[in-house]
Amino acid sequence: MMQTPLATPVPVLRLPRGPDGSNRGFAPDGRRAPLKPEVPEVLEPPESREFQEQQARASLRERYLRSLLAMVGRPVCFTLHEGVQVIAHFGATDLDVANFYVSQLQTPIGVQAEALLRCSDIISYTFKP
Amino acid sequence: MAMRQTPLTCSGHTRPVVDLAFSGITPYGYFLISACKDGKPMLRQGDTGDWIGTFLGHKGAVWGATLNKDATKAATAAADFTAKVWDAVSGDELMTLAHKHIVKTVDFTQDSNYLLTGGQDKLLRIYDLNKPEAEPKEISGHTSGIKKALWCSEDKQILSADDKTVRLWDHATMTEVKSLNFNMSVSSMEYIPEGEILVITYGRSIAFHSAVSLDPIKSFEAPATINSASLHPEKEFLVAGGEDFKLYKYDYNSGEELESYKGHFGPIHCVRFSPDGELYASGSEDGTLRLWQTVVGKTYGLWKCVLPEDSGELAKPKINFPETAEEELEEIASENSDSIYSSTPEVKA
Repeated sequence: MMQTPLATPVPVLRLPRGPDGSNRGFAPDGRRAPLKPEVPEVLEPPESREFQEQQARASLRERYLRSLLAMVGRPVCFTLHEGVQVIAHFGATDLDVANFYVSQLQTPIGVQAEALLRCSDIISYTFKP
Repeated sequence: MAMRQTPLTCSGHTRPVVDLAFSGITPYGYFLISACKDGKPMLRQGDTGDWIGTFLGHKGAVWGATLNKDATKAATAAADFTAKVWDAVSGDELMTLAHKHIVKTVDFTQDSNYLLTGGQDKLLRIYDLNKPEAEPKEISGHTSGIKKALWCSEDKQILSADDKTVRLWDHATMTEVKSLNFNMSVSSMEYIPEGEILVITYGRSIAFHSAVSLDPIKSFEAPATINSASLHPEKEFLVAGGEDFKLYKYDYNSGEELESYKGHFGPIHCVRFSPDGELYASGSEDGTLRLWQTVVGKTYGLWKCVLPEDSGELAKPKINFPETAEEELEEIASENSDSIYSSTPEVKA
């Protein structure tokens, strides 16, 4: 069966990662991260407070990262210092969540097409998913 | 809108890829191991093809490779007259099993307690992995080099293929139960536990037999010499590849050829469906593995279906957070990966 010449190729997110030329792989922090406490691969007993706290932190961080993803492209209301509130469309954050890249930032002195908001300047923000 | 298959090429090997195997579905997804004439079998994440590690230690071409069900162990068969068992999580070599000739095939039992090996010395060997120092049990009878040996019927029986025969053995008595003879060289064999089906390829034929009685069920002819074929877990499709460098997908019930793909630059030596049936992998003389979608255009793994109004967002926001650890792990892994969204991927298919 011939495929039509006009068919578009299925898009891919990226290509499969290849070998790292410098080592044999099997990174210790790689794919087999510890599962729920019933199947621990870490040395401390699953019931230890430290382990549970780590699990909770990981879970919270994941929720936060997902909340950032949910904000992309949406209008967000930022509360800054001195009671200033601005609305902008959220674009992205950097690796350390130190800056937010936003567009159409509505400021008291006009609309800024694109801007970087320093997270240290933000007290809180809200958005509707 | 018609979509064209985009195969994902996994590079890394420097010589022909002669065997590949998937693990079962584990809480960490499923995995893929590839055997290569460069002596360096590789472990990859099954649904993306991402390289995880390379098992280093063999001193010759690796002819066979397999993973146990939960992908905690790997086994390899090599031209250096050894089979090796590996820890598939750390990549460390666990055991070296000396043979008297080139080893071609390895297979774990379901419980990973035993390893079956076969090779050019025409003997089947069963190793107790809990007693690595003990001598293996040996089954003789083949009159030419063994190409493939597999546990079947819940590890109570063994299927083995040499150049012109396929034989069924009883594990407990170590005796031959039945055999099939062929006029042409048997190129590959696959065992499907659900339904006890045996897939055998020889010449241009793709044949299906009962794994219990060895009675023929049906067979199809391909346009070219076939080196390997695999039946989809739900038995709707089969895929096959061989000397014309092309992959063929057939409807198992009707035998109708549904799709065919060019893409490899050399003969295809091995092809297998993933355990969830969503993709199949092919290994070729050209040194690459390629992953192919069973349903072209479906969003799965690295393939992303883009609808006309979709602007191409990589991460659809999830309102309800998944509760299971498995989902969380898989999603973090895929969403945090470096993503280069490309609408013109490498397309040679």
